[in-house]
Amino acid sequence: MADLSIENLVKRFGNFTAVDELDLKVEDGEFIFLLGPSGCGKTTTLRMIAGLEMPTSGRIEIAGRNVTFLRARYRNVGMVFQDYGLYPHMSVYGNIAYPLQVRRHQRAEIRRKVQEVADTMRITDVLDRMPDQLAAGQLQRVAIARMLVRQADIFLMDEPMSHLDAKLRGHMRAELRHIQKKIGTTTLFVTHDQLEAMTMADRIMVMNCGKVLQFATPLEIFERPADEFVATFVGEPHMNVFDVRLTRANGRSVADAGSFAITLEEAWVLENGLAAYEGRKLRLGIRPEHMRVAPAQSEAHPVGAALFSFEPTGPEDIVVAKAGEVELTVRTSASGMAGLPTREGAPLALGFDPRWIYLFDGETGKTVAQARASLSAREKAA
Amino acid sequence: MSQDHRHIVSPNAPAVQRNWWAYVLILFVCVVNFLPYLYVVLTGFMDAATSNKPEPQWIFTPTLEAFRFLLFEKDLLHNLKNSAIVSITATFLSVTLGMFAAYAIARYDFIGRDDVSFWVLTNRMMPPVAVLIPIFVTFQTLRLLDTLTGLIILYTAMQLPFVVWMLTGYFRDIPRRYEESAMVDGDTWFQAFRKVTLPLMMPSLTATAIFVMILSWNEYVFALFLTSAGARTMPPAIVAYSIGANISWNVLGAAVILITAPLIIFVLIVQRQLISGLSQGALRK
Repeated sequence: MADLSIENLVKRFGNFTAVDELDLKVEDGEFIFLLGPSGCGKTTTLRMIAGLEMPTSGRIEIAGRNVTFLRARYRNVGMVFQDYGLYPHMSVYGNIAYPLQVRRHQRAEIRRKVQEVADTMRITDVLDRMPDQLAAGQLQRVAIARMLVRQADIFLMDEPMSHLDAKLRGHMRAELRHIQKKIGTTTLFVTHDQLEAMTMADRIMVMNCGKVLQFATPLEIFERPADEFVATFVGEPHMNVFDVRLTRANGRSVADAGSFAITLEEAWVLENGLAAYEGRKLRLGIRPEHMRVAPAQSEAHPVGAALFSFEPTGPEDIVVAKAGEVELTVRTSASGMAGLPTREGAPLALGFDPRWIYLFDGETGKTVAQARASLSAREKAA
Repeated sequence: MSQDHRHIVSPNAPAVQRNWWAYVLILFVCVVNFLPYLYVVLTGFMDAATSNKPEPQWIFTPTLEAFRFLLFEKDLLHNLKNSAIVSITATFLSVTLGMFAAYAIARYDFIGRDDVSFWVLTNRMMPPVAVLIPIFVTFQTLRLLDTLTGLIILYTAMQLPFVVWMLTGYFRDIPRRYEESAMVDGDTWFQAFRKVTLPLMMPSLTATAIFVMILSWNEYVFALFLTSAGARTMPPAIVAYSIGANISWNVLGAAVILITAPLIIFVLIVQRQLISGLSQGALRK
């Protein structure tokens, strides 16, 4: 068990910079997620921490020990690979025992530890089988067991759930989170699945193009995204974002999207000093769950739109509508859709919850104004 | 209309076809292929007079005369021993050295890697006889003529390109994550190679070794020119004993049996390894 500290980590492959000036401080026992699209440098970062890839420059410390250029075997980290990396010529028992055999533990002790970890991962009945006789879910449990069997300082997991089917994945999420908290070993988990990160992480580091965009708790990432990329990457269905221009009409601030306009809350405009952005090109973001839909235009539903597609998911419905050129996704409870037309092209009226509007810079994508409302604030108040 | 559907039934699955003619064809091909070899084997058990008759002899009294001549008068066992030593050692050396070379080419990105692997291949492009004279002179200078050491060095060098090319492909088929996994688990690079990669490579290594073994075992031209009595291997020895002023067919037949039998027995033993090794790359995803 240990903390991890990374400073100015850079990795270049020829002219391509895979990881650019990455800084990271992880406390002992934290469950950290590296989240980003494929090719964003998250796996490279993990491999550098494991010692499978040597950094171009920077510094990696595990438990205060500088391990930047140490080989993997001197780092005492455990790792689960994307396709598990189980040795195909060894039985499940042999696979789990391998790290202990390498360290020349006593035979009896190995047996005891493997048995213990197999109990935890509930794979005692397959210990004698070969990896190619196992199902994906069992393979994954074996791979995790092999990581757990050692007293490693840090656990690293490289998209371990990407080969599982949706149901198993949901189950493993809860189980993995439970095990991580029970064992308490600092864990870094690489994934491109925002749902995995949001549901399991203590903190999430969102990466893109080798750079860290934001490193914060899941709720903060969700509510206070640092830029448009983070805002749209997290959340399903993802945030509606479209071009707007800030203007003033009838003495009120308005975000003009061309075919429609959204009246903004005056207090929020003042708070964020948005007057300075008047006339500038901005991007307005609002999550689907903060939009309302109604059959006819009214004060609460000022924007006329046409239904583009209707996706019932059971408890809630996803409505994609087009207002002029802008495509807007609305998430509403199934009961909220009662009495609404679900035919393609049907007219609808949309409303925006002004407390949940974000504004991003048109060029840099940086967040200009965070939404006024906040779940965490409400939690604190309660 | 709709009532008609009740009468529509699915056709039965087609009867299993018994292609008896395919077996006839296979049998025919086998006979055509094996008949000459069978006759050569038969001549090995004839006496000199029978084997030299111009028309084929199918009925005769078998004798071990030719074998007695080769094994006791000419001491072919000496040549057999030479052949065994040379081909086993050369196979071991070329597969061992080639394995490391192939591993480096498959796994590491170094300057000129592609040039090295292409250069290795070009070594096989030239007909080996082209360098027979220079090699003879080199051997003479280094006092390697008529020594087993000389032949071992030569065969190792000759087989290396083949080994490197075969094994490079097989190493590439083995995902790197197994080694990485082992290194994270605490192995050094070499331990990971020995305990994880090598066991996975075993079928491919065996298949390659068998090929190399056969090539070395049957090599004729260099063995003929670079050896005389002391280090002479089987192929040139057999030619020398059976083909003189006139050809002793029964001696040739016996020699063919003696040179082929060890190989056939060897391959029969390792057959399964050979086949799984050859198809390994194709089967693995």
